Amino acid sequence: MSEALRSRAEVMKLARLLRREPDQLAYLGRLAPEDLRVLREQVTDMLFEAHDGTLRRLAAASRLLPVGLVAMLGQHAFGAMLSARISGLLDPARAVDIAAKMPPDFLADIAVELDPRRASDVIARMPAERIAEITRELMRRGECVTMGRFVGHLGNVALRSSVAEIDDATLLRTAFVLEDRDRIDALADLVGEDRIARLADVAEREGLWPEALDLLMNLDRERVAEGLARMEPERRELVERQAREQGVELPTIASEGAA
Amino acid sequence: MSREDALHALESQLRATPPRGLGALSEGELEDLNEAVREARHRQAAELQAAGEKAFGHIPRLLRGPIQKVMRA
Repeated sequence: MSEALRSRAEVMKLARLLRREPDQLAYLGRLAPEDLRVLREQVTDMLFEAHDGTLRRLAAASRLLPVGLVAMLGQHAFGAMLSARISGLLDPARAVDIAAKMPPDFLADIAVELDPRRASDVIARMPAERIAEITRELMRRGECVTMGRFVGHLGNVALRSSVAEIDDATLLRTAFVLEDRDRIDALADLVGEDRIARLADVAEREGLWPEALDLLMNLDRERVAEGLARMEPERRELVERQAREQGVELPTIASEGAA
Repeated sequence: MSREDALHALESQLRATPPRGLGALSEGELEDLNEAVREARHRQAAELQAAGEKAFGHIPRLLRGPIQKVMRA
């Protein structure tokens, strides 16, 4: 189940990169998510390297222009896709200054097109408030896949601001499609016990049990226990039942239940 | 085009060995994937060309010479 959902998320990312509808590439959904991720990274590298010389010259030429003009050209001449391609080639501090002159909805457009691996220094330097604004816009658009690609590149302060912006359902969906799974610990650390206690309701209402159980399994056991203890008994039983049905072992829940 | 040919075509477009799992795709599916990758590359080239021309019109005349010099370097 989880594997199929992860493959579907990967197909969505690849479809976006290739400018196709996910349905057109549905046949890829039966491949392993790891294979699809490697394929997507290969396509990304190919697209970036195909015009690397031109993009580098554009980045170099932009140094001759004032920041405000570069921001205007990015928005009105180059558009989000090409701005995303060039952003990782700019001096990171200057890229942040340029971004400061762009509206959050255009920065969200860029975020959708960006390869965070190539603009990691820029993302890391973006002020937390700016990241929060972009997060708000991405959440409004339901861009969990995009947000999931960025988490691994955000500093702790920016990540905290982002997590504070998103609702519980978006948190579950984003955590599930995290690109950098190692970063789920940092994300999980920011989820308070009150929020844990609400997860069952959100999972039940939005049909997000695989996502909720996936996140719960990555949270600190004691905090999960504390969150579960705050739930009404029927909600807690619901979590335990769903965990059993999904074949997920949640020892913390079992021990709490037996206590 | 055979399945092997389609895989080789993809490899040559990507300049990398595609993941083994792609061997599970049919010939038609591999050809479609090849076409999607080819279209993305061509689209990017066209957009880059058009954007460069459009951007140039916004640049103050005084700076056009130095910009052209950098772009031709």
